[in-house]
Amino acid sequence: MAAVSRPISLLALLTAALLLGGCWAAPVATVQPNGEARLIQGAIAVQSVKEAAIVSSMDRNAGTIVLRTPGSAENSNYKVGPKVSSLDNITVGEVVQATVTEELTVYVLRDGQLPGAGAPAVHARVLAVDPSYRLLKLQYPDGENETIKVPLGTKLEQMEAGDSVVIRPVEVIALRRKG
Amino acid sequence: MRPSRLRTASGWPRTAGVSAAILVGLLPAGAECQITPAQASQLRNAIGNRVEALTILGGDYGIAAANFRSTGKFTFGESADATVTVTKLGGAGDIGDPQPLGSLPVGWQPHLQGNMGWLDGTQHLHSGLVEGDITEIKTYGIEFGGGARFWVNDRLSFAPTLMGLYGHTSETYTANSAFMRENLAKATQLGLVDWTVDTWTFITGVDFQYVYTWDRTIFTLSSNPVYYHTESFKSSNANLNVKGDSSTWANIIDVDIPVGVQLFGHELRTGGYYRWTGLYGALSRGLNESSLNELHGRVVLDFLNQLWKVQWIGIGGSYVWGSHVTGWTVGADVTFRF
Repeated sequence: MAAVSRPISLLALLTAALLLGGCWAAPVATVQPNGEARLIQGAIAVQSVKEAAIVSSMDRNAGTIVLRTPGSAENSNYKVGPKVSSLDNITVGEVVQATVTEELTVYVLRDGQLPGAGAPAVHARVLAVDPSYRLLKLQYPDGENETIKVPLGTKLEQMEAGDSVVIRPVEVIALRRKG
Repeated sequence: MRPSRLRTASGWPRTAGVSAAILVGLLPAGAECQITPAQASQLRNAIGNRVEALTILGGDYGIAAANFRSTGKFTFGESADATVTVTKLGGAGDIGDPQPLGSLPVGWQPHLQGNMGWLDGTQHLHSGLVEGDITEIKTYGIEFGGGARFWVNDRLSFAPTLMGLYGHTSETYTANSAFMRENLAKATQLGLVDWTVDTWTFITGVDFQYVYTWDRTIFTLSSNPVYYHTESFKSSNANLNVKGDSSTWANIIDVDIPVGVQLFGHELRTGGYYRWTGLYGALSRGLNESSLNELHGRVVLDFLNQLWKVQWIGIGGSYVWGSHVTGWTVGADVTFRF
């Protein structure tokens, strides 16, 4: 009897799992997230590795560097961190791997608008959220994806696919020539 | 994205244990002073079962690596005092994110599994005729294979797999008893002692998995029936052949808990799993066990998206028990997510 009831129990569990879970669908970043338009969280400090960034300009005296990542529509202006020592070897137009710090602000927007604050300049949309490992998967306008580790305390439980992300460049903390 | 786990295990024999049957007691404890053909045939069958069992125990990633001590009775009634150490370095996991399977509402991703295992067992025989004799078995195995994981929804998936396992097993007999000193040459000629055998094992299974995240804690329920077919293709003795079928059915509940505290810039995580593995066929007969239980605990640091493809690095330990066997394992717990 026990030998029969075990497969039946397993089948019942599988059926319940199917019914509760719905169907599988690939994640999509262009969906409209749930809830009212609002700011979910700002100033989320993250670290990101830009594998093939092009140096658009540099100001060694001011300690700044302007990078452009392939597919990105605009340049990003970063402060050069104190641990970056190789700036003298870098030339404008060169492709580098840059480890940078940035600040994310995550919104729910309606028709691209945040009531009372206009239309933020959105740089990416949320594609997927992993609250357990604190991962935020972003999709950029050119279709490229990037997974970012966010700090403890980030309100990931409120974030979902389709949320809008504004990225503020902060600092380059490591720079390496490519090729 | 499911993890690939690299696991190592090593340790030393326990000094106390429950009765078990891991290693073969090669000779009967009867009053006969010669090995009869019927006994030899029966013993060779037992050797075949045990070679298959030890190859799977030592070479398959799905069964825990541990140190076992056995002080039990074997099939033929002789007393046994055996220790077995199993060391494994292997991994299993899914590659990348699930991709759509055509126009079906199903996602899929490649699944790979591999393992290198080493088993070293020593049995001190305590039985009338062979009292004081020692038999030592060494097995190493290399396993590789893969399949695909299919996601029915975000939580439920199944992964059919095909794998191959090469195994090499050797036995060395130290004859201290008068009976075996007299019969050692005959026993060797019959393929009962001092043999080596190379085997291949065809393995197929399905891993059903249900993943549920509550708050930040991940619960994973798995059910994994596996079938093994083992045959020898090279043997030091023409009389010694291995051919058998085995199967296992593992059911696992795993809990992965983020602690919310950072050490060295990485979040501390803890958790573990309970695994019940039913053993069937030659594997069950060879180990003289119908099931094994494993309770595993771990403390790790989260490196996901911070160090290459490493998901976590830490330490883990397991306690393994069955109706006749106990064992434990302690080792590095390194998990990758590709």
